[in-house]
Amino acid sequence: MAAHDVMPDIELFQPITVEDASAIAARLDGAGWILAGGQDTYGWLKDRAKHPGAMIDLAAIEGINGINATASGISIGAMTTLRDVMRDPLIAEKFPILTQAAGRVASPQIRNQGTLGGNVAQDTRCWYYRRGLSCYRAGGNICYADSPEGMNREHALFGASRCVAVSPSDTATALVAVDATMVIHREGREKRVPAEQFFIGPAINITHMTVLRPGDILTHVEIPNTWANTESYFEKVADRDVWDFALVSIAAVMKTSGGVIDDARIVCGAVECVPRRLRSVEQALSGKPRNEQTADAVAGLASGGARTLNHNQFKVPLMENLVRRALRT
Amino acid sequence: MEIVTVREDVWGREVLLGVSWDWLWVILALTFAAIVVHLLIMAVLRKQPRPSAAGKRLTRHDNFDRSFHWIMAISTLVLLFTGVLPIIGYDFNWLTIHWIAGLVLTGAVLLHVIRAVFFQDFGSMVVAPKDLKEPFEKGRKPGKYSLAQKGMHHAMTLLVLVVIGTGLVLFLQIDTPWWDRPNSLAESTLGWMFVLHGVSTLGLVGLTALHVYFALRPEKRFYTRSMISGWISEDEFSANHDPARWMPDETARS
Repeated sequence: MAAHDVMPDIELFQPITVEDASAIAARLDGAGWILAGGQDTYGWLKDRAKHPGAMIDLAAIEGINGINATASGISIGAMTTLRDVMRDPLIAEKFPILTQAAGRVASPQIRNQGTLGGNVAQDTRCWYYRRGLSCYRAGGNICYADSPEGMNREHALFGASRCVAVSPSDTATALVAVDATMVIHREGREKRVPAEQFFIGPAINITHMTVLRPGDILTHVEIPNTWANTESYFEKVADRDVWDFALVSIAAVMKTSGGVIDDARIVCGAVECVPRRLRSVEQALSGKPRNEQTADAVAGLASGGARTLNHNQFKVPLMENLVRRALRT
Repeated sequence: MEIVTVREDVWGREVLLGVSWDWLWVILALTFAAIVVHLLIMAVLRKQPRPSAAGKRLTRHDNFDRSFHWIMAISTLVLLFTGVLPIIGYDFNWLTIHWIAGLVLTGAVLLHVIRAVFFQDFGSMVVAPKDLKEPFEKGRKPGKYSLAQKGMHHAMTLLVLVVIGTGLVLFLQIDTPWWDRPNSLAESTLGWMFVLHGVSTLGLVGLTALHVYFALRPEKRFYTRSMISGWISEDEFSANHDPARWMPDETARS
C-alpha cells in the first residue's frame, strides 16, 4: 500500500511561452509532465501511482488563457478555467451546452482551479488503473475491471478493446457535439484536430486517452459558429450532484425549422473511452419533429451494440432515457 | 537494458509484463550489421559467373507450395507490422487486423505441415549429417535445399510455432465474433505468454529481414524467381544442386 507521506521531489519548469514549454518537454523526452490546473495530476501524485521526475507548469504562459470571439466562432485558451468558461456570456449565448457542461464539472473549488484543456485531456477514472495496478492501460496485460470479479459499474458499454475504461470529461461531450477543433502545438507547428478525433479509444492506443503525445501542448479549443445558437441540451447523471464523474451524460445540438429537426449532433459521455456520437439516432432524427413521439421512437437506437459488463447494465436504459429527455421540447 | 519488463504492483508484488521492446532496436541494429558484413564479404570475394536462366526449365516449387509460401509471407509481414508499429508509436486500430492475419498464418502453417509430412518429401528439409560438410567442402552441392536454407527454415519454423502457440492463447482472451473476452487467464501466465510472443516476434523481425535480404541477393535471385514462377533453369540446377540428391521430378514449360 502506498504511503501518503510528503510530496516526492519533482523538478519544476515554469515556461512563459508555448515554444519554451514544448522545447522543455522535447528535451525531457516524455519524462516531463504537462501541468495545467493540476486537478487530475495531484491525484496521481498523492496516490504515488505515477512518478514524474519533472513538471512543466503552463500557468505562466500568456496567450493560452481567455475566451475570444473570432470571425468564425469562439476561441478558448486551453488554460482558461472551467469557472471562466461557465461564466462567459459569449459562450452562454452561443453554446449554452458548454456552459452547462463546464458548470457540472466536479465542484466550485475544482472549477476555479481546473482548466478546459486539463478537463478534456484528463486521464480515465477507472479505479483499478488510478490505484496503480499494472492493467492494460498502465502497460500491463490485463483489465481488472473486466475480470469476473471486477467492479465495473462506471465502465464502458461500447468500444472496449481489452480496456473498459471510459472518458470522464464533461466538457469533452459538449465540445464533440458542437464540432470543436483542438489546436495542438507539436514540434514547433500548429496541429488542428477535430474534437471527435482528439479522443482515442483503446483499440487505437490503450495507454492514451487523446492524441496528445509527450511534448504536445493543447493551446486552444476553437468552436465554429456552425452550431451556434441552435437548440441544445446537456444533462449529466452522477451519483452525487457535485464532485462526481458522470455515470452517463448527454450533449445534443439540433438545427430545427418549424419544430422539425434538420440536423443534429448527439453525444453521450461515460459510455465509451471516447465521447460517443449517437449517429444512428442523429440519422433517424432528420426530418422528424422534436417531440415526445420522436424521442420514444429513436431512443432505443442509442444503445444499439452495447455490451454490458457485470455491474453496468443500468447504463443502457439510462442512456436511452437521456436521449428521450434531450429530444423533448 | 532489461530482458523483460517487470512492474511492481501496489502491493509490492512483481508482475511480469513481457519482453523489453528496447531489444527491437538491438535486433534491428544486429540484423543491419550482419547484412553490411555480408555485403562487404561478398564485395571482396571474386564474383562467380552466374548460371544462365535460359534453356530448359525445371520445376522447383509447384503452385500449391508457392501459394502457401506467399500467404505465410504476407500474413507474417502483416503480423509484424501490426504488432510492432503501435509499439514504436504509430497509432491505428491494429488488433483486429493482427488476429485475422494470425489466423491466416495458423491455417497456412497447419496445411503446410500436413502437406509436407504426408504428401511431400519430408526428408528434403531434414538436416542430415552429410549436410554439415557443405560449408567446408568446396564443390559439394546440396539436394533441393542447402544447409543455409534448411537452417533458415527450421529457425523460422520454431519462431512461427512459438508465436502462433502464444498468439492463440492471447487470441482466446480478446473479443472476437465467436466469443466475448473471458479475461480469465492469470496475470503471471499472461506475462509469460507475452514474453514468449515478444521474443519470437523479435526473432522473426531479424530473420524476416535476413530472409528478404538473401532473396534479393543477385546470386540467390533465381530462388526468389522460382518461388514466384515455380522454375529454375537446367543451368541453375546443375550449378547449385547435386542431381544425385535431388532431381526435379517434372519438367516445367520452357
